Formats: sequence, C-alpha cells, structure tokens
Amino acid sequence: MTRTITIDHLARIEGHAGITVVLDGSQIERVEFDVFEGIRLFEGLLQGRSYLDVSGIVSRICAICSHGHAITALLALERALGIDVSPQTRRLRDLAFQGASIESHALHVFCLALPDFLGLPSVIALAAEHPEAVATALRLKKLGNTIQEIIGGRAVHPVNYVIGGFGKLPSVDQLLLLEQSLETGLEDCEKAIALLRSVPVPAFVDEPIRCAALIPEDEAFFFGRAVRLSDAADIPVDQYRSLTNEHMVRYSHAKHSGHDGRSFLVGALARLTLHGDRIGGRARDVWQEIGPRLPCRNIVMNTIAQVVELVYSVEHALELVDSFLRTGLAAEPPVAYRVRAGQGTAATEVPRGTLYHHYELDSTGQVVAADVITPTAQNFANAEDQLRATVRDAGEVAEETLRHRLEMVARAYDPCVSCSVHVIRAG
Amino acid sequence: MKPRIGIFGLSGCWGEQIVMLNCEDELLALVGAVDIVDFLGGSSVNDRDTALAIALVEGSVANAREEAALRRIRERAGLLVACGTCACFGGVAAMENGRPRDEIAQVVYGPAARTYDIAPHRPLADFVKVDARIPGCPMEKHEFLQAVACLLNGDLPPVISTPVCAECKMQEQDCLLVSRHLPCAGPVTASGCHARCPGLNVPCIGCRGPVEEANFSSMTEILAKSGFREVEIRQRLRTFATPAVRDQVPKA
Repeated sequence: MTRTITIDHLARIEGHAGITVVLDGSQIERVEFDVFEGIRLFEGLLQGRSYLDVSGIVSRICAICSHGHAITALLALERALGIDVSPQTRRLRDLAFQGASIESHALHVFCLALPDFLGLPSVIALAAEHPEAVATALRLKKLGNTIQEIIGGRAVHPVNYVIGGFGKLPSVDQLLLLEQSLETGLEDCEKAIALLRSVPVPAFVDEPIRCAALIPEDEAFFFGRAVRLSDAADIPVDQYRSLTNEHMVRYSHAKHSGHDGRSFLVGALARLTLHGDRIGGRARDVWQEIGPRLPCRNIVMNTIAQVVELVYSVEHALELVDSFLRTGLAAEPPVAYRVRAGQGTAATEVPRGTLYHHYELDSTGQVVAADVITPTAQNFANAEDQLRATVRDAGEVAEETLRHRLEMVARAYDPCVSCSVHVIRAG
Repeated sequence: MKPRIGIFGLSGCWGEQIVMLNCEDELLALVGAVDIVDFLGGSSVNDRDTALAIALVEGSVANAREEAALRRIRERAGLLVACGTCACFGGVAAMENGRPRDEIAQVVYGPAARTYDIAPHRPLADFVKVDARIPGCPMEKHEFLQAVACLLNGDLPPVISTPVCAECKMQEQDCLLVSRHLPCAGPVTASGCHARCPGLNVPCIGCRGPVEEANFSSMTEILAKSGFREVEIRQRLRTFATPAVRDQVPKA
C-alpha cells in the first residue's frame, strides 16, 4: 500500500516550495522537492538589453542574494569587455561579500533555523524565550546590512556597483562607523558562539555529503577561478556547465544539477569542508570546536558552518576596513573601457554556495545570451538525496516527527527558492 | 486585542519581507504592537483562516495559484497593502522585451516550457481592491514603518506626488541628466528614496515606478537629444512598471 507525505508549503524558507514523499510499505518510491515559485524568465528578459542594465535587473532575482548577483554579473561583464579592475575595487567588493555573508547567515541561523533546534515555531517565539539571543542576532544582521549599505548604496538591491568600480567610494567617517560596528560584531560573535555551543545540533540523518566550492583566490575566500569537488578533478569556472549540468524535472520550476550523474552540495559546509584550512583567526578555532568531524555526514551541520563563516566574515571585514583606514582609499573613478563584442563567465561564493553568471554581448553591448546558475538550483538534487536518506534513517518514527525532520533538512540548505527558478539559459 | 496582521509573498525576490526583517532597531517594538498571525516566511505555525486587520502583500501575480491566494487574502483582510514595486506595478518580471513569453520560456526551459503556467506577471490591483501602496524596489524602510504607523492609527499612508528630481534638488546634487547626459529616469519616477542613486553618481533606473502625471514624451525627447537610441530609452523606461506605462511608452 502506498502512503504519501506532503508538506505543501515549507515555512521559514525564502520562496515557495514543498516536499512530497511517496512510500510503498517501508520502500521509498519517490522523494521530491517541489518548487512552485512563479516563473520570471530573467535571462530571457535580458536578451536585447544593454549591458549597462544587466546588474540592476539581475539583482532583482533575489533580495537576500542581491549583492552577490549584482557583483557576479559585473565580474562576468568585465571579463566579456576585457576590463581589469584595481586591487582596491576587488577588496571593496570582497568587503561587500562579507556584509552579505554576515547578514544572510545571521538571518538563517537565528531567525530561520535556530527555532527548530529549540523546538520553537518562529523567531518571534524565540524572542519571547531568549530575548538576548535575538537581540544579538539582530545586531549582527544589522552589521551585515550596514556594510552592504555603505559599500553597495542599499541593503537590498545595491545601486553603487558599476562596471569597473563604484559610483561613489565610502568616506572615512563611514569606514570609521564600520570599524566600530565590526568591533561590537566581534563581541556579538562570541555571544552567538556561546549560545550555539549550548544547543545540541539535531542528528537524525547519516549520509555522505559530496562537496563543491570555488578554490579561494588569494585572501578572498569567496572568489576564485576554478571549482573543487570532494572526489573529482578541479573544473575551471568557464567550463561550469560540465559541473552544473542542469536537467529539467517535471514537478519543479527549478532545474536540477548533477556531476558524473551524482548530486553535490554547495554552501558553507562545502566551503569549510574543502577549504576550512584557509581561514584563520577565531573562525578557525570555532570550526574546530563546534564544527563536525570531517567528512561530515549530517547535513544539519550546514547551519553550524554558517556560524563559523559569520565569524570569519566579521574578522575579515574588520581587516579590510582597517587596511582602508590605514592607507586611505585612492579616489579612483571606474575603469575606462570601450564596448566590444565578447563573452564572459564569473563565479563567486555567495552565502548559499557557488553562483555562476555568463553573458555574451554583441559589438554594441547588447546582451545576446545570458545564463545564471544559482546555488539553490545546484543543491536541489542533493537535497532530495538527503531527504531520501532522512526517510530511510527515520525507521518507524511518528509521521509528525518525520515531517519535522524533512523540514529541518530542507531548511539546512537555507534554500533560496526565488533565486532557483531563474536557472535559465537563453540564447 | 492587538490588530491581526498577515504577511504574504507572491512571485518576487522576497525583498519586502527582507526589508521588514531589516528593521532591526524597530522589529521587536513592531512585533509587540501587532499580532502577526500568518507569516509563512517567518513562522511554521500560522493561522490561515482568521480575519486580518491588515494584509501586507509583496510580489506580482504570476499564475492561477497566486491569483487564488490573493483573492483569499482579500476576503480575509480589512486593509490590503501592496508592498513594493512588483505588487504595485508588476515589477521587472512584468517587463516586456518585445518577444512573446511562450517563446522566451521555450528558449529557457526547452520543450518542457509548454507544461508551465507562463502568464505575464501583473500587479495586485488587476485582481483585487488595493487599499494602500508602498512602492519601491525594494520599498524603503522608513516608508514601510510610516505606512504601518498610519494604518495602525486609522490613516492611510501618504501618496507620493513628486518625482525623484525634487529630492535630488533639495540635496543640491549635480543633475546627471542635464549636466552629464546620463540616462537618469528621475523626472518620471516617484520620489521617497531621497534620490539615492543620483547621490552616488548613478542614474535613476525607475525602480519606484512612475510618478503621478509623469511626462514620458518629454523624457524620451531629452534622452534622444543626449544620443540614446530609441530602443534603449523605451526599454529603460519600461523596466519596472510596464503595465502602468505601456500606453505612454509604447514598445520600440
């Protein structure tokens, strides 16, 4: 006899998605992560638009990843146009990425995931029981937003990032404000670590996790030119299609990814599993102290990996701001360039994993083709594997327990469903 | 009894829900002043049936499922507020680039596109009565808080009737359109953003939607004189609010 478990509409995730599990006795027939977010056809809408319009349009793919989309689009367009930006511009963009990491991870860890660990329905309930924890989380979240506002011009849908540089550089006063906020941020990180140390991480699934992440370039943990996998040769970013290798699934508006026919994980846990030795400071201690033993087989640990990255991002942002204050920012206008035909691919590590943008321009700078592949889209296939393992490992638990576990596994990916439905190739 | 509030997202980027959560300094006071009973994005326990004093709705309507959800919200809500440019004007997803949507969908999803509902995205007011609008992509934090304060005190939020240029001039910023010949959409775009983009030397792209009585023909003329091609001008002016400006700015 078959039995179907349906979670119609997942709560506490960004966007609209559900889970369907079909069981035949104890056999698992099907496990599906369904996405029913409305189709927006971004890449199709970009065709025929000027390259100057791209960054402002693609940031609208997703609010919480808007800085990542805007900057990754610029990196790809700059490659297409043959533009090299200054080291200062690269470092300021790196700082923006730390802001995005702090904001996004603080939101997910405390507002979306932590209520599960404590058996609460929401951050509102969490605020009633642990007001100090929520106050700390909100201060960290605000810190991430302050960085994004100062460097990107706005917390959601940045406006200050342009081809070759910035509309306006931050002032010394703004940098001093950031320095002060980041110092408070370090104290808040300690409070967050103490809290997380006292909360047991749910462990109900035991399944290998295959990881993929960009190989960090220089000091910048979130930028790189090639992708590393747990168990395969490195892949240069411009050959990303051999990794992301998307296919359509009938029940979802999002495409799925697999490499060598097997799924992989992107995001904080994948980055730290593969490159955790590249981070130093307090973050490194925290990773060793509250992180998993590697290789990790509990996907819920992704939330803990996010806490570690949050600490890394506060520390690294402070280093960057201090170096800007020490040497002063050069009054560089955006790099001058000439429009030409070309194509460019860029990848970055955004909070949820590797993000790819690819553009082809004609000689007038019109977009001929666009391709955006988001981390959540890459994670769907892996999430289904982990959901399947969750059902397998649950044995004879009550259906309500199983449903809650399935939700927790889905939320562990910090899925960004708005993003994922734009994994679209045009041209 | 505290007023019951619902927060809903249709198709969009989740920007308005993020802006609400970004009110870090005001969030706990806000949560204390109201009773948030239905907020799928923030809570796994929701009352999907109870009557609501205020429904805050972001995103555009993309398919029959969302249309039905919106009608249901309208039935439950005393006041329905369209939050953000997608809810107010359709937003970027309602953009038309001159090609039929089924053709774009084919390019994007291949033959599978046929199985999808790919109706054009539309603003909330195409389906239900909207009591108040907070435009912006995303909406501004201060305008959101002001709107909630108004609604909780029995007023409707103020309607914006000045363009971005008014705020830009008050801040004594150099005019990007006139003195630097950049394609700034400030003259036809509703203010409220404190002319953020021109202040950063970046031309306005119209993300707050059209200002009342916007003069699109004059705007088009000025841009044409600055050397922009007609197709670029039209695309640019139609980016965020195609359904509202379709008549004034015909497709190139």
